[in-house]
Amino acid sequence: MTIDSQEPPAAAMTFEILKAAVRDAPTAARLGRLALAGRRTVETPNSFANTSRGVVPHLTPDNVNKHMHGVGGTYMGLEDFIERPQIYTQRSPPIYDTPPASPALHHRRALHSFTAMPSSIITVMGARRLPAVPAPTGNTNTTMSVFTSTGFQLLSTKEYMHAVDALRPDIVIPMADLTDKAITPTSKRAVRMAERTDEWVTDWFRQLPSASDPDLPPTATFAPVLPIPYSMQWEYLERLSEDYAPTSQLSGLALYDADVLPDLTSSYANLAPLPRLSLSAPATPHHILRQISLGVDLFVLPFLNAVSDSGLALTFTFPPPPPLPSSSSLLPLGIDLSHPSNATSLTPLLDSCPCYACTSHHRAFITHLLSAREMLGWTLLQTHNHAVLASFFAGVRTALAAGPEAYQDACRKFSAAYEPELPAGTGEKPRARGYQFRTEGAAPAKKNKPAWGKLGADFLVDGEKQDKEKVVDSGAAAADAEIEVVALQTSPHDVDALADKLAQKGFAEVAN
Amino acid sequence: MWPVRRMASTMSASSAALRFDLIAKCSTTRARASVMTLPHGPVNLPLFMPVATQASLKGITPEQLEDTGCRLCLNNTYHLGLKPGQEVLDAVGGAHKLQGWKHNILTDSGGFQMVSLLKLATVTEEGVRFLSPHDGTPMLLTPEHSISLQNSIGSDIIMQLDDVLVTTSPDLARMREAMERSVRWLDRCIAAHKNPHSQNMFCIIQGGLDLDMRRECCREMVARDTPGIAIGGLSGGEAKDDFCRVVAACTEQLPDLKPRYVMGIGYPEDLVVSVALGADMFDCVWPTRTARFGNAITKHGMLNMKREMFAADFGPIEEGCGCACCRPIEEEGAMGITRAFVHHNAAKETVAAHLLTIHNVYYQLNLMREAREAIIEDKYPAFVKEFFARLYPDRQSFPSWAVSALRGVGIDLLET
Repeated sequence: MTIDSQEPPAAAMTFEILKAAVRDAPTAARLGRLALAGRRTVETPNSFANTSRGVVPHLTPDNVNKHMHGVGGTYMGLEDFIERPQIYTQRSPPIYDTPPASPALHHRRALHSFTAMPSSIITVMGARRLPAVPAPTGNTNTTMSVFTSTGFQLLSTKEYMHAVDALRPDIVIPMADLTDKAITPTSKRAVRMAERTDEWVTDWFRQLPSASDPDLPPTATFAPVLPIPYSMQWEYLERLSEDYAPTSQLSGLALYDADVLPDLTSSYANLAPLPRLSLSAPATPHHILRQISLGVDLFVLPFLNAVSDSGLALTFTFPPPPPLPSSSSLLPLGIDLSHPSNATSLTPLLDSCPCYACTSHHRAFITHLLSAREMLGWTLLQTHNHAVLASFFAGVRTALAAGPEAYQDACRKFSAAYEPELPAGTGEKPRARGYQFRTEGAAPAKKNKPAWGKLGADFLVDGEKQDKEKVVDSGAAAADAEIEVVALQTSPHDVDALADKLAQKGFAEVAN
Repeated sequence: MWPVRRMASTMSASSAALRFDLIAKCSTTRARASVMTLPHGPVNLPLFMPVATQASLKGITPEQLEDTGCRLCLNNTYHLGLKPGQEVLDAVGGAHKLQGWKHNILTDSGGFQMVSLLKLATVTEEGVRFLSPHDGTPMLLTPEHSISLQNSIGSDIIMQLDDVLVTTSPDLARMREAMERSVRWLDRCIAAHKNPHSQNMFCIIQGGLDLDMRRECCREMVARDTPGIAIGGLSGGEAKDDFCRVVAACTEQLPDLKPRYVMGIGYPEDLVVSVALGADMFDCVWPTRTARFGNAITKHGMLNMKREMFAADFGPIEEGCGCACCRPIEEEGAMGITRAFVHHNAAKETVAAHLLTIHNVYYQLNLMREAREAIIEDKYPAFVKEFFARLYPDRQSFPSWAVSALRGVGIDLLET
């Protein structure tokens, strides 16, 4: 895991707009390049990988380094690192004590070192995970509720500042007063959100340590833009434009709702050159394209991990393949690898996909891994799905480089070619345990069937029982059915039953 | 210092798909260093084989497994027979192709799982009868089925189906029946084996803890001239003293120029002692299973990374370890993993389990690599003493079974 030998550019972070949106063009999409000292340069539009507890789920740091060339950055939530175990409530979170890397590795900041994140990858830190679990108690004027593995706790603006000081992420998003709920906040709440965030961000810039100490590796600030109407937060945005954009303290914008962008850009021209990172979690590539058209440069996409956990391999490309004249049906955005039709398929997940899963393995293996609930299945899907997204963004950039019309045209073709939603995965998911999955209200139904149970008819789940009876009734495959009748009717303890037929039937031929 | 005790001329033996080169023998103990060349390349013995039960080594990629230095891993016939099943294996073209593994694979016969996983399995002369763990369907595993499946899997080493009985069973008559049946089943397995030119069948010596029965079994099995020989039925809860006696009794009888595989052994002490007793190959799920429980194997013993004492420990999992997790970050391919990071994610993110799996597999493989070097330099007794000295605070705490087993092959652990 060697770091780039090239010398860092003079400025800590530079964002170049290679092709700006043209005034009155049908799209505000733009082409850019984000460069940070010591990190891989990121061409935009692009996406950063979402993490859980400092890791891209299922991927060890060496796999991230070797197999995630399309991923230039990761998003981490501070709440993943600051739990207080009950018997050690007084301890300071260990991550704050991460020793500095050797001078030769000055690009490895504390957050990189603690999470063993490859040096080439940019780290973005926010206070909360993405998506954040809504807190039962609201925020106060100086604290917000965060959810750690030991429960909800308060994070003060002061501690957050201290954390950034200790961890030195490349990019940080100051605390924002968010509800983290799907429903739109009331206007009273929205006003308070804007006021509080305004105050917190003002405090932030006043105390930002790297501003005072030029020896510290700089941390770029991406100011939060709230998921409330422009009219409710214009005062806050105006402050960003007037006070912090001119002084270069403000390096970018973190959008919790991309729809504020049109108003924001038309009102504050000096915010336009800043990179825009969307944290609004678009759920499909169609949503991503829409946000790109609004002018978003960077994304964090929590849906990718959910897709991998569901046993899906993404299969879309941008621009889409030319439509087949024979077929008028829409193409799926992904395929379900749990489907038995893939059991003997030696083809890659997606033809000509350059990822590790597609070049070194095939569908049959991944289908087997999912059915056997082997963790490697999700590892390979994560690798592939991140690669598909990386190619998708590369396609978007190529189209944008050819001009707004070419991009618009490709977008139209994309939405005409692909289904609007991702398919649902039918396979069993990895065990979803842990605090980050808790939801409000009643506990959700168990996602997976129990793996083992008592022998005998009671063990059969109702649906299976019916299936079996159906097979027997229909008389299909007489020999098979006969054995199944035996299976159902003889006592399971009577292992000597009908051995001759079983011998013909063979080992491991589970009748179903 | 390579050829201090190098044998005057390397002794070799070949069968259709296996070549065995005996490189060096310890002048004190029965330890041997050798090279076993299989259809998918050579492997150095003594050797630990990690267990990729269902064609995947618990969460790590074949590429990462290769990086640990592994060139021979296990798959379980029983599990692959259930998932993905023989038809899929035939269609895909075997387990190597299924899992993208370019190196060697060994498969067990499936018999051990019948007995260990399935309480209701019964053994008859025909085969092992059991109920499907999925739906209770009665099924039957015969020697012919097992070999047919292993032929479909295409593993480089396949194991005969044997009649496995817990060694602690007091029923001597049943034990004798199992031993004799294992010999008869070996004949059926050899007859059923379709690919003797690309897959090596190993016999499995049974006979419980009765040394005479073991010796008798050795004679019968050796007479059938399989490319390699396994000692089975151990690691089932017998006393360590008994285990060592059985291994020693068997290796004494076995020909020099065949690999000897003690099945189901994985604790570092067991490996080091068994090598001294003349065994070459070992397998066990323990290193990878314990990794998933948050345990790291080190030369000073096992560390549970979930303990609070590691929360702010920014050292590597094991100082001086050469695995991809522990090597300093400056080195190519190193990750710079700290104990604090493993602690942070142990039991919370699968990545922590993957990292410890990489570390533990590397530890086991490296332990055997170092043992092999010591044998070649004819310093194995010193190696064994150093190993135990690192693991235990003082001589008084050395396990007595190890002391007496090693005394039997000329090492006095307690001497100063």
